Amino acid sequence: MSTVDSALDIDRQPFESLFTPLLSSAYGAALRLVRTRPDAEDLVQEAALQAFRAYHTFQPGTNFKAWFFRILANCFISRYRRNRKERDDLALDDIEDLYLYRRTVEAGIHGSDTSPVQTLLGKLDEEQIGEAMARLPGDYRAVATLYFIEDFSYEQIAGVVGCPIGTVRSRLHRARKMLQRALWQVAVDQGLVSRLTAPEAS
Amino acid sequence: MKSEKIDPLTCEEGVARLDDYIDRELSEEEMRRVRHHLETCAGCAGHFRLEEDVLQQVRDKMRRIAVPGDLMARIQKRLEGE
Repeated sequence: MSTVDSALDIDRQPFESLFTPLLSSAYGAALRLVRTRPDAEDLVQEAALQAFRAYHTFQPGTNFKAWFFRILANCFISRYRRNRKERDDLALDDIEDLYLYRRTVEAGIHGSDTSPVQTLLGKLDEEQIGEAMARLPGDYRAVATLYFIEDFSYEQIAGVVGCPIGTVRSRLHRARKMLQRALWQVAVDQGLVSRLTAPEAS
Repeated sequence: MKSEKIDPLTCEEGVARLDDYIDRELSEEEMRRVRHHLETCAGCAGHFRLEEDVLQQVRDKMRRIAVPGDLMARIQKRLEGE
């Protein structure tokens, strides 16, 4: 390795030592934000590159994770805005409380010692949960991803996506309801509900 | 010890605060009011358990993600190009 290469490695090292432990959660969040693994890999790489270029603006001692996720969210938002033609499957109308519970009971789903909702969710795999998440409109998906995957508080999410806490609160409340409806739709679309309510399932 | 007086919530008020309660985003006083309501209203307590259960199951499954083994190497390669 040349002296120049060594110097560059030393230059990258502080950034990489903070970024590497975040890779798993960054990729997890990216996969829930975009729809496919190749897109998630692109998004993480793009965010890492932008973060590295802007690393001189990061203040040591502050929260690197929040700083990096702000960049990741910005990359997603600008990509999402470029691709507005991406379908937003769910209308933003009012969704009743306990949506999933009501649908599972109406459909006659039941389990031996679990609630109908637990029975249904127990049958949905990670891919199907991801598919439901992908059906949320981008702005809602962003706050829901940070909430579910990162356990960020409303205040932290507001800092990452750059909007007031009140907006995060209302988007998150709606996102949770939209997600219940999307989970139900995925279960219906993929034949899970009919399998669970078929005579031999009971 | 002096017991704290709690301003009771109606079911509608309790349900409206449920998401914030689950996320611990209410003031201490409001958390106490919701907790008190859930202790005294079986219907809302059931609602709370269902919501919390959905969130937990979704959260658990959403976090089961395998990172591609070569992703960090690819990122490092791109950083090297900077």
